[in-house]
Order: sequence, then C-alpha cells, then structure tokens
Amino acid sequence: MLSRRASLILIAPAVVLLGLLFLYPLSYSLIWAFSDEELGGWGLQNFIKAWGLYSRDVLFTLIIVTLSTLIIGAVSVAIGGYLTLGENRVALAVLRTLYRWPLFIPFVVSAQLMRTFLAKNGMMNNIITSTGLMDPLAATSFLDWRGIVITFVWKQTPFVALLVAGAMAALDRSTIEAARNLGARRLRILLGIVVPQVGTTLMVGLILSYVVMMSVLSVPLMINAQTPTMITVDMAWRINAYSDYGVANALGFITYAMTAVIAWIYLRQGVREGGRPQ
Amino acid sequence: MALKITNLLASAAIVLAGTSAAQAQNVLNVVSGGSENMVDYVTDYLGPLFEEQNPGWTVKVVGTGAGDAGSQTIMEKLVAQSGNDAWDTDVVVVTQLKAGEMVTDGLLQAYVGDIATGKLATRDTAKVALGTNVEGYVMPMFHSQTAIAYNPDVVANPPKSFDELKAWTAEHPGAFGYNGIKNGMSGVAFTTGWMYAYAGNADQLMNGPYDPELKANWDKALADLKAFNENVTFTPGNAGTLDMMNRGEIVMGPVWVDMFYTWQADGRLNPNLKLLLPEPGMPGQPYYYAIPAKAANAEAARKFIELATSPEVQAEGIVKRFNWYPGIDAQHVESALDKATWDKLFTDVTPADLAAKGKPFPLGPFFDDIREAYEVKVSN
Repeated sequence: MLSRRASLILIAPAVVLLGLLFLYPLSYSLIWAFSDEELGGWGLQNFIKAWGLYSRDVLFTLIIVTLSTLIIGAVSVAIGGYLTLGENRVALAVLRTLYRWPLFIPFVVSAQLMRTFLAKNGMMNNIITSTGLMDPLAATSFLDWRGIVITFVWKQTPFVALLVAGAMAALDRSTIEAARNLGARRLRILLGIVVPQVGTTLMVGLILSYVVMMSVLSVPLMINAQTPTMITVDMAWRINAYSDYGVANALGFITYAMTAVIAWIYLRQGVREGGRPQ
Repeated sequence: MALKITNLLASAAIVLAGTSAAQAQNVLNVVSGGSENMVDYVTDYLGPLFEEQNPGWTVKVVGTGAGDAGSQTIMEKLVAQSGNDAWDTDVVVVTQLKAGEMVTDGLLQAYVGDIATGKLATRDTAKVALGTNVEGYVMPMFHSQTAIAYNPDVVANPPKSFDELKAWTAEHPGAFGYNGIKNGMSGVAFTTGWMYAYAGNADQLMNGPYDPELKANWDKALADLKAFNENVTFTPGNAGTLDMMNRGEIVMGPVWVDMFYTWQADGRLNPNLKLLLPEPGMPGQPYYYAIPAKAANAEAARKFIELATSPEVQAEGIVKRFNWYPGIDAQHVESALDKATWDKLFTDVTPADLAAKGKPFPLGPFFDDIREAYEVKVSN
C-alpha cells in the first residue's frame, strides 16, 4: 500500500494541471459572465442580452446535440451488435476495417468534406441523380441542421462504437449462447441480453460525445449557413465582431449548465457503481 | 494523464528549441491576421526576398486566420505579453477595426515617418481606420474590395444597383446567395452596402460623427432586408459563396475581388464569371502592416515594411501575383508594372467604378450597431 503522502505526490501533477488549465480559466470565465461592464460590479446584464439575442440558438444547440447523441447511440449499438453477433465473415471483416476511419479525421476536415458532399449540386446528390433515382431539379442542399447532425454522427459514431464493441467482445458469451439455444433471434439477443450488459459503457461513450459536440465550432460554422445556429458560433461572433467577452462568457456559462446536467448523470452512475466512474 | 505530461514536455522542448535558434540567427517574427494566401505571400515571396537582401535574417510567419477574428488573436497575444520588456512579435498584419483598437490601447508604435516609403500611401485609409486616427502607425499592405460576382451565361443583364437586385431576387428566388453576417466578411460587406443604400446618412456612417440615436431610423431598411432574405440562399462563408457559384447552385453573390481573381487564376473558379459594383457601392478595406510597441526587432521590422511597401514589391507581389489592389497610392505602382497586368486587375471593376463606388466600412461604433441591429431585427 502507498502511504498517504506518496499518493498525494502521485496525483499532484494531475491536480495542478487540472487547476491551471481547467479550474482557473473556468472561474475567470464565470467572473466575466456575471460582471456588469457598463455599471461596474455584478449583474445579470450579459445573460439578459445573451438570452434576448440567442435563446433560439441555445434551444437549437440542445436539440441538435441531443438528436445526434441518440442517433450515435443507435448506430453504435448496431455496429457493435453486428460485430458481436454477426455471422457473415466478409461483412464482419469489411465493417471492422471501415467503421473506425472517421475517428482519425478532425472535425474541421469532416466539416470541409461534408460541405462539398452534402451541397445541393454536391457529390451525394450527383451520385443519386446519375443513378436516375432522383430528378436533378429535385436536389436539395443538406447544408443546414441536417448537415450538422450528419457530420456529428459520422464523426462521433466510431468513437462510441469502438467502446461499445470492445465491451461487447468482453462479455461472457455463455449468456448469448444460452439465449441462442432457447431460440432467441439476434435482434432480441442484442436488445435483451447484450445492450443491458454494456449499458454503462454505452452511456459513458454517449456522454463524452455529447460534451465534445457541444464544444465544436468548425462544423456549425462551415456547414450551417442558416439561422438559428449553434452557441459556439455565437460565442466566436461576440468576441470577434464586438470584443464582447461578457456575453460570450454568459453563453459559455449556459453551455456549462447544459453539460453539467449530463456530467451529473455520469457521476451519479459512477457513485452507484461504487465510486468508480469509468 | 501520462499523455498530457508528454505533450507538455514536448511543447516545452519546441519552445526551447525555438529560443535557441533565435539566438543563433536573427529571426523576424511576422504574424499575419489574414487567410492562407496572405501567409503564403510572406512565406513564398516577401520572406525570401527580405532574407536575400538582409543576410543573417530569417523571416518566420504565422497566420492567425482571416477577418477580425485573426486580428483579435494577435491583439490578445500582444496584451498577454504587455508586461514584458521585449515582445516576440515584430510585424503584424491586421484589419482596420483591430488596428484602431490596438492604436487606442497603445499596443503599436509609430514608424511610418521613419521609413522611406511612408510618403507613398496618402489615401484616407492610411490615416483613419473606421473612425480611429491611425496616422503614422500603419501602412496599407493592400486594399481589398467586395463586389457582386455573377454568371453572365445565366444572367445576361445583371442588376446594376441594390434596387434592381431587390427586384431581381423577387423574380428569381434563391438564385442570389450571401453568407449572412456571422460567416465571413463578404456577407458583412453586403449588409453594409445595403445599409449605405437604404438606411440614410451614409456619409455620416462612414465619416462620423458617431450618433447612437441614428439606429432608430433603420427599421425600414432592416425590415426590407429581412424580406429580401426570404428570396436568397445562405452560403457557408466567403469561400462558400464561390463554391456554390461554381456548382451552379446560385448565380450571383457578394465576394472579395482578390479572392475571386486568385481562384480564377488557379483554375478553381468558372472563368466566365464576372464582377460588378452595384450602385451606390459596396465596402472594401485595407490590411495594415504595423509594428508592436515593444517589438524586439523594431529596426528590422521597419526595413521589412519598407521593402513590402516599395513600388516594385507592391507591383510584383501584391498586384501581379496575388491580385490585390495596391496598398500604396496607385500611381507609384502603375509605373512599375506592364500595362496588361495592370489592366487585368481592372477588367470588370474600373478605376472609375472603384473611385465612385468603393466605400470604406462604417465607423467602429456604427459598425457594431449595424451588426447588432441585423442580429436583432433581421436574423432573429
């Protein structure tokens, strides 16, 4: 067993880094959000302005990120499930090789890819049109909220699928075999036996994805030309156009609040499992 | 965690390596608040030229991105080291708005009187940046202008004014595209042009004095713009507008002239597309060379800017290679260029057009009011 002092020394670098790179800027940002620059002192001025101008964007962000998270969950379970329960060896090999690729592509590059892929006369519509399935005039641009959701799902699914597939592979296969012997179909096994056992891992993956997507600037900036747009774009805009850190930090605070709810679920999950968040 | 520490050590090592290299050889640090092509301009052309003329010096350039966002980053970098005796940034390239803020905050030094080319830039933009007096602190690197690009194969008689454009978009919904105000400056420029045309008091918007009450008269212009927006396609950014024109998704939209010509020269844009400046005009802006107040190599920085603003470099680099309008007064540059190159720059937008319809951006506080009014009354 390590002595108390030794363990403190061991965690010290982590605590210092966390303090300097996270807690210090966080408190700075909070102070800025709640200070009233015009009158001096404290006030909710920044929040009133942020809410007045960007309340629709806050709602939009929440909907987009939640929707993306749900779709990512469904697709990851499907991928992980097929990798665990699938029987066609060629399909398994192809899926196993392909599904991870987007993991290694940065958000900004994904956004640039999607920007030309999803445009009205972009690659996707051109392919569909050339197969004769769609009239060229019927082509529509996906460069709006749908584009953001598609990019988020494309980019984040491999991450969650990787975690989920790993957890599924580590399961005790006897439960699956038992269900099979009793005649359960694969979908039933997936939803009734496999997913409940990897629920925690799936949850952790989805929570991390949610938080990451909340913070992405490049994707909404490059793909969504419409209003409303996501909070990150508004924060960048407040700073770049007006040098207005107050409202930007107020928007930041709103973002923290939106992720804090999720973080709370994550921590509660950890506590329930004996104080070991994964 | 281990990964984080490794990263930290790696970055520390890079910083140390950088410092020791700086001691071995003189390094001039240039930070450009511009897009990729403005960084390329220094790495590919200006930097090597300076190094050739000044043995022992190396020019190191970093780009912080286009628009006020990029210049804001530079400003934050300068503020962060304002307590130090010598700053690690020798030359900055910044936008008008941020140049004004930097001068006001004392982050720049006056140098124009000390360089030989200082007298070659006499346009009003060399003295006033969106209402802030910056005389002596800045030299224009180039001037850039926004204009409406259109596809003459589809639009034989393009609208010549904002009024005609309004009527045209009503007849052809979705065929005109611009990028709103949050996605790049060409959209902001279009909005500004709209306000000059319809908000009234255009002269006051450009030249002052600032009057916070003026925005009370903008409701009609903004409501019209909101109605106009119903008939347009929104594009994702300056490059987004050009991309969409290229793919035939829109046939008209506001663009930066230099970007337009550069893309055409690179074969990235339909060569048939043309430009026009609608009545009563659209804004343009210069980018400025400036020297931070406590630049470590101020002497070399002055030499660098002197070279960059010499008629030969302005002719060869700015006009010929990068399709910008010159930063110093045109007559000094014209004589250093062949006629064909000079004329190419003014094919669609003539010097007379530029003089009559090339406007500055509005005064800083008016500019804020316009953008915020757009957020409240047009996009909300």
